[in-house]
Amino acid sequence: MEADPSDPSKLVGFDVEIAELIASELGRTPRFVQVAFASLDQSAIRGDFDIGLCGIEDTPQRRAAVAASVPYYEFREVLTVRSADRERFQSLADLHGRRVATLGGTIAYEILVKAGQEHEITAVSYDDDVHPYTDLLLGRVDAVLLDNVLADRSMRRNPGLYAHAEGLAHGHYVVITAPENTELRDQVDEILRRAMQDGRLESILRKWDIWTEDQTSHHARVLAAAGDPLAAGTAPAPTSVWKTTVTYFPSLLQAAVVTLLLSCLAMALAVLLGVVIATGRVYGGPLTRAFLTAYVELVRGTPVLLQLFVVYYGLAAVVRLPAFVAALLGLGLNYAAYESEIYRSALEAVSKGQLEASRILGFREWQVLRLIRGPQAFRLALAPMTNDFVALLKDSSLVSVLTVVELTKRTQIFAANIGSWVIPGALCAALYLLMSLPLGHLARRLEARWKAPTTS
Amino acid sequence: MSIVLEIRGLRLVRGAREILCGVDFEVKRGEMAALMGLSGSGKTTVLRVVAGLEDSFEGAVTAEKVGMVFQFHYLFEHLSALANVMLAPIHVLGIGSAQAQARAQGLLDQLGVGHRAQALPRELSGGEAQRVAIARALAVDPPLLLLDEPTASLDPARQKELGKTLRGLAAQGRTLLFTSHDDDFVGDYATRVLVLAEGRVVEEGEPRKVLSKPQHEATRKLLQVEPSRRRAKS
Repeated sequence: MEADPSDPSKLVGFDVEIAELIASELGRTPRFVQVAFASLDQSAIRGDFDIGLCGIEDTPQRRAAVAASVPYYEFREVLTVRSADRERFQSLADLHGRRVATLGGTIAYEILVKAGQEHEITAVSYDDDVHPYTDLLLGRVDAVLLDNVLADRSMRRNPGLYAHAEGLAHGHYVVITAPENTELRDQVDEILRRAMQDGRLESILRKWDIWTEDQTSHHARVLAAAGDPLAAGTAPAPTSVWKTTVTYFPSLLQAAVVTLLLSCLAMALAVLLGVVIATGRVYGGPLTRAFLTAYVELVRGTPVLLQLFVVYYGLAAVVRLPAFVAALLGLGLNYAAYESEIYRSALEAVSKGQLEASRILGFREWQVLRLIRGPQAFRLALAPMTNDFVALLKDSSLVSVLTVVELTKRTQIFAANIGSWVIPGALCAALYLLMSLPLGHLARRLEARWKAPTTS
Repeated sequence: MSIVLEIRGLRLVRGAREILCGVDFEVKRGEMAALMGLSGSGKTTVLRVVAGLEDSFEGAVTAEKVGMVFQFHYLFEHLSALANVMLAPIHVLGIGSAQAQARAQGLLDQLGVGHRAQALPRELSGGEAQRVAIARALAVDPPLLLLDEPTASLDPARQKELGKTLRGLAAQGRTLLFTSHDDDFVGDYATRVLVLAEGRVVEEGEPRKVLSKPQHEATRKLLQVEPSRRRAKS
């Protein structure tokens, strides 16, 4: 579904119409709630909605976690490429060593991860179904693997794209309800079957131009398997949580390394820039000061998420930064504003007497900064800086919106896969603590060392 | 004797207040000149002008290179006593660090705080910090040393030590100009006293003479402020 172009507050799409159909059969008025795609199952369990449908794929994990209806649509996972690459990239094998985008937590993502080992393909996971295609046009990825519904929509939006008709795999859309609400699920099954029989479902699908020949046989299978919804869908294959945990743990560690690396580099950039900005604001002329103040206020007054989008997508027309670099720049530039404020106030906190004593001794202004004012300010800034670094470590989870898979994102994928946040959440928290606690310890030790005399 | 400091027609206005309105005096090599005056008479401001810390003043101030010891010392808080003394010789005079360290240690020894070389400023007593501050000022070898209220935080025994130290420095050919409230100290150690009142020098001369037979109303007032200490000593 998408926003109605003539009234962006209204949602339109075949899912909306199917939802309206189900609601009217149930004698209820549909009220649409938006939840994160990656945590649909958790939202269903929590009771954020009664009925979930929006290209929700039928998977064994999902059937184990929530109550799922009969599949109402059969899709194909298709490869979309830039029109120019139409001949060159026809299969995953053709994409050896390249980056392929998809939505996180989907069957397509699982296919790509598997293919990744075989063909050395890098699976790039997105949180929405629009940016994979815009990044494909920009050349950040070389193909997108998603279902034919999304691929067709993207081709309508972006003329430069071509979706191969052949499917790499089949899948089904289902309606989900809370796991204990099987009664509602059964009602939905009944409504869907009736809509298949009397052609109302077909007319909705045709209206939105996503009716394919696959649907005829699919509907027949669903109707033949009356009473046994699973027979028509994918059979559930329960996997042990522990086994999944063991499989996922190395990837969590890897993601933690990404988080740590990104945070350290971003902090280094923030400190460096922060020092420059603070120095400029303390020593610079009125123009420099005005410019730097404007920068600091702009950065502090707008959400870091917005800044990340601007750096990654907004600047794409000028410079196509790789996701990691964009994340590093976005976080670094953002934190530089906060660091500069810490350094500025620390510089201003160094007493006037210290500066006057230096001047009488004949130090030049830059020597005063380097030898006396800077070192004293740094000691004052250390505690708030440590604080900021720990905050940055956690804020780095925001870069998942730029397709960087760091610890939180990886945990989310893990949780979506096993349908629970308990183990992934605990592991993720433990890893964050493992990274942040030593930092505080290190800072305290440095402070203690500075209390001892030095002879530099 | 050559003139180390010459001040002519020094005026300084801060806001609506005229702090100095025509200060004239000079200090010759080897002198220990004391600036006296009630609080707010502008003693410290005169030192600040001489040290180059005040930008907006009128008049002519001609001084050789100066060193200054602040009332609150302002030692570099992040450096040890030794490093405080070494810093300017290394970075301002360009002296090698080994040589600078030897000289700094020598100065600290000479001032009686050599054993505190590794201490941080906050670990020093007031008297020790003052000696380190004197050593730091002397490290760049200024012919003229300014001291702001050097006796303020010292007990009588320490004051005596300080007096001897300053006298020793003057004997080495250094010129000293200091501010003080303490007429006993000034009487004992200064070679000349200048009394500052209403923004100008109202009386000057040989300390014992000026302090025992004050000619100006302001000097008499000044001597009445701390009679208890005079009695205690005499």
